[in-house]
Amino acid sequence: MGFVYIVLHLILLLLLAPLVEGTIRKTKAFWQNREGPGLLQPYYNLIKYLKKDSVISDNASWLYWSAPYLTFASIAAAALLIPSVSPDMTISFAGDIILLCYLFAFARFYMALAGLDTGSAFGGMGSSREMFISAMVEPVMFLALFSIALKVNSTDLSVIAGATASIGLGLMNPSHILAMIAMFIVSLAETGRIPIDNPDTHLELTMVHEGMLLEYSGKPLALMQYSAMLKQMLILTLLGNVFLPWGGLPSIDYIGLLSGSLIYIVKIFILALITATVEIANNKLRIFRVPGLLMTAFFLAGLAVVVQLLLKG
Amino acid sequence: MREVINSLELYRNKLLTLYRNKFGEQIDFEFLMDNQIIVTVPKELLVSACLYTQQTLKAPLVDMIGTDEREIDECYGLYYVFASNDLDLFITISTRVERDNPAFPSVTPAIHAAHWYEREVKDMLGVHPIGHPDPKRLVRHFWSKEVHPLRKDIPKGMKLPRTDKELPFKQVKGEGIFQVPVGPIHAGIIEPGHFRFSVQGEYIINLEAKLFYTHRGIEKLAEEMNFHQALPLVERICGVCSFSHSTSYCQAVEKLAGTEIPDRARYIRTIILELERLYNHLGDVGNICAGTGFTFGISQGSRLKETMMQLNERIAGNRYLRGINVPGGVQLDLDNEISMQIRETLTAVAGDFRELKEILVNNDSFNERLIGTGVLPPEIALKMNVVGPGGRASGSRRDVRKNHPYAAYSNTEFQVPSYTAGDVKSRLLVRIDEIEESFGIISQALAAIPGGKLNSALGPIKPQSYALGYTESPRGENIHWVMAGQGNTIFRYRVRSASYTNWPAVQAAVPGNMVPDFPFINKSFELFYSCLGR
Repeated sequence: MGFVYIVLHLILLLLLAPLVEGTIRKTKAFWQNREGPGLLQPYYNLIKYLKKDSVISDNASWLYWSAPYLTFASIAAAALLIPSVSPDMTISFAGDIILLCYLFAFARFYMALAGLDTGSAFGGMGSSREMFISAMVEPVMFLALFSIALKVNSTDLSVIAGATASIGLGLMNPSHILAMIAMFIVSLAETGRIPIDNPDTHLELTMVHEGMLLEYSGKPLALMQYSAMLKQMLILTLLGNVFLPWGGLPSIDYIGLLSGSLIYIVKIFILALITATVEIANNKLRIFRVPGLLMTAFFLAGLAVVVQLLLKG
Repeated sequence: MREVINSLELYRNKLLTLYRNKFGEQIDFEFLMDNQIIVTVPKELLVSACLYTQQTLKAPLVDMIGTDEREIDECYGLYYVFASNDLDLFITISTRVERDNPAFPSVTPAIHAAHWYEREVKDMLGVHPIGHPDPKRLVRHFWSKEVHPLRKDIPKGMKLPRTDKELPFKQVKGEGIFQVPVGPIHAGIIEPGHFRFSVQGEYIINLEAKLFYTHRGIEKLAEEMNFHQALPLVERICGVCSFSHSTSYCQAVEKLAGTEIPDRARYIRTIILELERLYNHLGDVGNICAGTGFTFGISQGSRLKETMMQLNERIAGNRYLRGINVPGGVQLDLDNEISMQIRETLTAVAGDFRELKEILVNNDSFNERLIGTGVLPPEIALKMNVVGPGGRASGSRRDVRKNHPYAAYSNTEFQVPSYTAGDVKSRLLVRIDEIEESFGIISQALAAIPGGKLNSALGPIKPQSYALGYTESPRGENIHWVMAGQGNTIFRYRVRSASYTNWPAVQAAVPGNMVPDFPFINKSFELFYSCLGR
């Protein structure tokens, strides 16, 4: 039975990821007093890219064409580690939060290599900025997750999520809130949102994540963008299931899973709305101000760990 | 009014004495159309006469024209136009360059503003500025060096031979310094221009722009056309400054013909010119937000711009205000109903704009990006004669509407905003203030508009006479220079748009900033490629 649940979990994430992206875009359009494209537009875009031919630069090596597959594979593997509806729906026997962070790092590393591969100036700039930012994002993510791990005495995400779900609001101590804020800042950086990156820009000189993808077209582009949407979904899931202890532990039967899915989806969409609203109210930071923001997150996460240790006595 | 002319009269005589004392009997004087003085000097005196005009008479160089007049007196003509800052007066230093020796002493080492003009004359006419510090090709960097299209013996419509050799860029070399080529094709739907950055990490050490990719030969095409025929061409020099360009052109032709346009036409031109400024500035305020990723500002800016453009369409039948001007006045009346519509739209737009202004001016993360970014120091702006909002954000107070009033601007009250910081924020503020002034100008003009005819007939135009037309477009002064030929046709037409003078300023303002700041530094000047590709 467990295997079926894991497959269901993956399908749910894969299906919903573009919808979450569509929701964020629609919310942004709403704040701009625009109609905006429909919620389903990201699906149409992916289908469109899949139908198109791909133009590959003469300077591209095997890195260029292998990157979309490897990026997608590592993000999809990460998806199997993060519980969505129920804590039991993961392959937690295979790895914990450390593996998760490394899977993200692997995808990022590969994408940066692919950005450099074609020799385009924009790809290089995007890659170097991405590495610059991620050097500060990763420690924050580790620390924020560790503060929770300390609380439940496990680095296994399904144990952590199970604990947060069953303990509920009792978990909301100062350490948890600090870690939650740090994780939210990380989520803005990891999903390439304003104030750190701008996902909607056409200005090549300002791009970070989009800069690395600039040389891609057609099917590989679809895969790259799908990976980004899936990663965004995972980050929001992490935020929702680990840091928002609300909803209870669903029982493993049809009703339990249905209500669990509903709660999960509501959580994700609320987080998407918050992300979009933060984006609309802010300008992109100067890239040399980004460390300031991420350092704030780092100290919050560090503080969360310290407070957690103190509380445990 | 009488007094001004009297003092101008006095001033002319004073000038005459000044020049005579300085340069003796070698120079010729001519007074044209009440505010233009032509000083003809021999080639050897060109540099000193220009320098004298700029320094002693406090008149910046605003344009320079080269003509091929070999069929008349076996010479090329050069005309350096200076505009007085204190008086409504244009002083042209003109010189002749003989056919057999097409070279002249370059003025650029003395007056930096002549830099591009002299390079263009070299490209287009094959008249060489001797001693120019950077004489490489400007306009024709992709054509063969041998052909000079503005010479009269090159037929119109000739396909010019191309060159395979790329004009090299200036490169900064050193450890960790990279070249970042951007363009000529860009990601947005914009025109071609190649920007070559030398960067160290995120910091820009040098920027060189290669522009003029879309040369359309409008100046050549206009030659031999009659004055009315050329108008549709003039209106297409630039999309969004279409009305400023056509007004400049019409004013030049009207001066040549000695025609006074009816008062009603003067007011209608004023209203339309300000409507053009409004839709441009509203859009540009939004566009600056695009560079900082402030999507709220972009969409509000484009919404207000669209409202204004829909108003344009109701007025003119097109969104770019074409087909209104004719030499001699206007051909389209503003009736009561359309005036009401203008008033109503402006009231609504003004209300929304003030809300947007509050949000933009008070948003900290927006200001953080803008303040101190893309600084154009006032002394450099002065040397380059940077015009329009770009110049006025760097300490200049020059606005053609005030300095050399045309249309009905002398009958309306308005302020010329000026800031000294020279950064992106200042340029944004200049635009924001100018929008407020434009609302005022339009409502004054609508209230005071007199009845009467819309246009007057043009008088006869003497061959080889020439005149200037000038307007303050949303981007700065557009100066058109028209020389008449036989039988009411154009002999030489020269367009100097605001973008032409301000492009070098972008290259001066960018170094020292970060690469991601370039888009909105560029946007804060808001220049066009098509105004260069005349």
